[in-house]
Amino acid sequence: MNKFFIKKLSIISFIFIPIIFLWHPNWLGFLGVQPYWPLFWLLPWSMINGSINGLIFGLFLGLILDSITLDSNFTQIPGLIFCGFLFGRIKLHNDILVEHFRYGLICSFGSFLCGTFHFLQILLINYSDSNSLMFIPGVKNILAEVFLTGFFAPFICSQLLRMFKFSRRKPQK
Amino acid sequence: MFNIRRISTSRWWHKKKSWVFFAIFLFLVFVRISKGSLYKDFYYFISKPFWPGQFQKEIILKSLDQESFIKLNLLKKDNKRLREILSLQKSSNIDYISAAVISRKTGSWWRQIILNKGLKDGVEIGSIVLGPGGLLGRITNISLFTSSVTLITSPESKLGVWVDRIQINGLLVGLGDDYPSLIIYSKDADIKVGDFVTSSPASTLLPPNIPIGIVHSVDETLKSKKTAKISLLAKPHLIDWVQILKLNI
Repeated sequence: MNKFFIKKLSIISFIFIPIIFLWHPNWLGFLGVQPYWPLFWLLPWSMINGSINGLIFGLFLGLILDSITLDSNFTQIPGLIFCGFLFGRIKLHNDILVEHFRYGLICSFGSFLCGTFHFLQILLINYSDSNSLMFIPGVKNILAEVFLTGFFAPFICSQLLRMFKFSRRKPQK
Repeated sequence: MFNIRRISTSRWWHKKKSWVFFAIFLFLVFVRISKGSLYKDFYYFISKPFWPGQFQKEIILKSLDQESFIKLNLLKKDNKRLREILSLQKSSNIDYISAAVISRKTGSWWRQIILNKGLKDGVEIGSIVLGPGGLLGRITNISLFTSSVTLITSPESKLGVWVDRIQINGLLVGLGDDYPSLIIYSKDADIKVGDFVTSSPASTLLPPNIPIGIVHSVDETLKSKKTAKISLLAKPHLIDWVQILKLNI
């Protein structure tokens, strides 16, 4: 049983992403905005398993997060698919310090991409009402999210990466 | 004897892993179509120990001054009588359900709260959700144990509202920040900072005269219309208990 949990650690941790997404701990927020939680899981997963796996699990994450948010007109899938694919191209680095900074930067960039995709969808849908310009101040949501995601990524991603590597190693006889 | 050659054993459909992924994909599509009902019900059970206690509810209830409560009831009766005389839309057949907020997303683009009352408590899609102060949003999704509320600050929310002082209808649009925008399609409307905004008597989504907010700032730069930022009376990021209005408009 224990062996099973260790082996499936990455998949088990996947289940907690929507829960944290729903939980939305306010004390972690900045300007009422939260870090973009799915990227913290997607980055180490894609780095270990490659682009195709990253793309597939980006799609899975997008599907599940879309289902728990109420926006029927907007989707998170394109951003997460793109990030999953992109993160899979990134190679691991030997220097621990550099690696930590890289997590922050990569997650910030991913959060910026996802936020921008979402923002563009809102602009596009409201374009016909000629109200789209009113949504411009919402850019602050993207910036706050980018900052927070970049801030927390080095702590969370490094731990998750270590966890995923641990769960993949073969048992010693 | 013929040599039977194994043909294309490495095709993707021969791999068990591909079918596992396909099954997961189908399951997630099901979750997506059902708007995450299973997940929300699962979240309902695991978040149960962390729900807000009775304490805040008691404070809110005690804070209602008895005198103003009696006055309010008298005014309601008066209002009902006058509406019947004028044959206006009724707002009297209202049934309240108290609910606790078990999940809250009040920042970023997704502005929603999840309540601990669902289908089993008789909540319906389209019901109005009120907090101390006024309107919070409308229920747009229900599972067996939970209901999800689209807040009026969400970019998905568009409501008809009424500015009482100048007697004009407008459209309240959520922008993804804390101040939704009021659009009045008339350049001559004399809207001012401090004007009180309520639900519109002409709205088909809301009952009339529900307090919503106060005009925070007015933008007159557009040629054909006026827009104003509205400061909401009910603060969704602070409220732990809400009331769901079951009503037939």
